[in-house]
Amino acid sequence: MVPEKDLRPERDSEDSHFVKAWDLPTRLFKWLLVLLVVLAWVSNKYGGAVPLWHKANGYAILVLIVFRILWGFAGSSTARFGAFLKGPRGVLSYAAALIKQKRQPYLGHNPLGGWMIIMLLAALGLQGVLGLYAADEDRLIIEGPLAKTVSEAAVDGAAHFHRLGFDLIVCLAAIHIAANVLYDLAGKSGLIRAMISGRKLKAAYIDQPSLVTAGRGTALLCFIAAVTAVFGAIVLLGGNPFK
Amino acid sequence: MSKFYVAGVLMALIAGSSAAHADPIEERQKILKGFGDATKPVAAMLKGDAPFEIAPVQAALDTYMDGVKKLPGLFPDDSKTGHKTEALPKIWDEKPKFDVLYEKLGTDAAAAKGNITDLASLKANFPKVLGDCKACHDDYREKK
Repeated sequence: MVPEKDLRPERDSEDSHFVKAWDLPTRLFKWLLVLLVVLAWVSNKYGGAVPLWHKANGYAILVLIVFRILWGFAGSSTARFGAFLKGPRGVLSYAAALIKQKRQPYLGHNPLGGWMIIMLLAALGLQGVLGLYAADEDRLIIEGPLAKTVSEAAVDGAAHFHRLGFDLIVCLAAIHIAANVLYDLAGKSGLIRAMISGRKLKAAYIDQPSLVTAGRGTALLCFIAAVTAVFGAIVLLGGNPFK
Repeated sequence: MSKFYVAGVLMALIAGSSAAHADPIEERQKILKGFGDATKPVAAMLKGDAPFEIAPVQAALDTYMDGVKKLPGLFPDDSKTGHKTEALPKIWDEKPKFDVLYEKLGTDAAAAKGNITDLASLKANFPKVLGDCKACHDDYREKK
């Protein structure tokens, strides 16, 4: 199969200004997660009559989080944790340069953004796991599949932190969105566009010069492993996800 | 005889006045606790922990339909605190909106009662009623 752009040479000049920054699985993960986080709220607020909707939404989020963790080890170069997680010194020196308005372009996540990703993944993963053990106060309306495997006090605790977890996620998401909008307004770096198109303008990127793409087959394997891990864990721990 | 008559009238007055002044918080707690108790056997059926039986389902729906007639009147302005009430102050900021939720519960319970005959129709109709419980609890009931 001939790639479309080879048939349209007039676009080559435009394409040559860009480099690939994000692979398709990472972008699909990202935007599906955004959609599911919004739907998690919607399904709780308006789906009281269909408890399975909110539960299935939670399972889907857990699958995405597990997928992203696996992709952080097996995925393309900008998706790997090893590429974007920096120690305190790296984070501080990046932050210092940022304050002095020294532009340090990153092809992948910058050191501050990298930790934001970790916090978002951790908060959403924890929120999903808490949901598995949570229930409404009377245990009559909605109940996570693992609530029956723990004490009543544990269920109340899970429900309590599941509620607080929502506030935490809203705060993290607000910071995340504000930071990206500010970067794009101040630095014209096109971060948000890049997360949609997958491409960034060519520049002297200091983290990695170009994207090394992992195969689609690897992505599919990671996804299958994530589905198996989430539903397998629920069943092994004594729950029925769809009851 | 007139002594007995006076005593009788007095007792009736006392009984009447004490009924009229029964604490609205205790009253509404009793009704809502009754909702919960009536729901338990139905929730067990929905979860598949108990076989379908029509009687507890209809009893639960009747309990809701009966309770929603009284509940809107059991949140007077002087019943915001006491008796470990879990009623949030927001109720009195938006009382009309709050009362509509009881109305909706009554309507949905009546509709469900007409539609439920077996487990499939229970699963199709009862959760909507539970959704009404949840909508109100989410906004107006204090969380643990």
